[in-house]
Amino acid sequence: MIEMVRELMDLLGIDRGRLELQWVSSAEGARFAEIVTSFTHRIMELGKSSLGVAA
Amino acid sequence: MNIGESINLYKTYYCLDCGVCTGSCPVSRVLPTFSPRLIVEKALLQMGDELLSDRDLWSCLTCGRCYQRCPTKIDFPEFMRNLREEAIKRGLAPALAHHGMLQSVMEFQAEGVRQKKTDWAREAGKIADRGEVFYFVGCMPYFDVIFRDIGVDSLSIGRSVIKILNAAGVTPVVSDQEACCGHDMLWNGNPETFKKLAAKNIELIRGSGAKKVVFSCPEGYYTFQHHYPQYFGELGFEVVHFFDYVQQMIADGALKLSDGAGTYTFHDPCRLGRMAKIYDSPRAILGSLAGEGFREMERNRENAVCCGTTGWANCSSGSKQIQAERIREARATGARTLVTACPKCRIHLSCALTSMEEMDLEVKDLTTLISESMR
Ligand code: SF4
Ligand code: SF4
Ligand code: SF4
Repeated sequence: MIEMVRELMDLLGIDRGRLELQWVSSAEGARFAEIVTSFTHRIMELGKSSLGVAA
Repeated sequence: MNIGESINLYKTYYCLDCGVCTGSCPVSRVLPTFSPRLIVEKALLQMGDELLSDRDLWSCLTCGRCYQRCPTKIDFPEFMRNLREEAIKRGLAPALAHHGMLQSVMEFQAEGVRQKKTDWAREAGKIADRGEVFYFVGCMPYFDVIFRDIGVDSLSIGRSVIKILNAAGVTPVVSDQEACCGHDMLWNGNPETFKKLAAKNIELIRGSGAKKVVFSCPEGYYTFQHHYPQYFGELGFEVVHFFDYVQQMIADGALKLSDGAGTYTFHDPCRLGRMAKIYDSPRAILGSLAGEGFREMERNRENAVCCGTTGWANCSSGSKQIQAERIREARATGARTLVTACPKCRIHLSCALTSMEEMDLEVKDLTTLISESMR
């Protein structure tokens, strides 16, 4: 499913890196923070998407 | 438009209460609570609130079979479309198929994205950025991804069209920035998104210098031909269906088809048949490539039945029943191949076929059949 959505994002011209799915148990607080932090950094690096600006 | 205005526009007060619509409706057969006659009547009896919150509002396939037969010519599908617009305004909505993925794609396109969806076209043949003929591909690149799991390679239709056009010496414009035609948004009661999508397409096509736009998707064709001028006036380009185009190419000698072996029957899409009134060119093409191998189903042309679901909404067990019945009807002609002429009909009928293992029938699009028969 997630791979399908990534393919749709490719067609829409939205960087596939903007989508992430991870399963984290409630006992893994540190891992959760790590994933969210690295995802946030990735999004900041990617910058503004083409959504709403392109033709 | 409120219900009163819709009644006046479609003159539903001429209803004779004859019930021909309900008797003709494929949904009423499988979902006995659903009745177009009752919907018309409830609207006239000012039971609008009940009507708009009823799930049945989204069960109609807008297939036009009732309209075709109504003695007072009440355009029930268009009336329904207006009721849906009103329902959406009140915050009611249909049950979206496939988690609403397709509607999301349409909303993204309406907002504006830089799409990248023509790699397949460049691999299939020669395409251009500007030119006389624009090939409107429609949503097939997205279908190709979403419906791969049921074994439908939607883009084979697009590849066939490009191959056929190239063989006849035409290099079509195919564009990354083409948006959905807006058909589904319109019929799902969302004219605002429809207008955004349509405006983008019109601007894109005008900018490409094309004088002619060719469609292999009947929904796109009908929407451009019927609804775009209603909302936007004169388009400034000609709208042509691919089968009419092919028939002309055959007549001009630009395309030659060999008569293949095999047995075929044809499923008329609602938008191509009852709405756009194109019944003859697909049959002429089938006649020239299949000859005696072509057989009509019992319910054909004006009487054809819908493929069971529209606008990616309200796909139900009723849809499955309609589809299974259509598939059995196709097989009963003796044909081994059910020829479709709409990317969605192909998907929906193939979807039903996946749970009919014993059925010895293949679903194939007419465009593919044409490209396989090219000499
Ligand atoms: S077929 Fe037409 S006239 Fe007859 S009940 Fe239906 S809407 Fe009314
Ligand atoms: S448009 Fe088709 S599905 Fe809708 S009421 Fe008429 S016959 Fe039934
Ligand atoms: S018939 Fe199959 S492919 Fe079509 S909407 Fe229903 S579930 Fe989806």
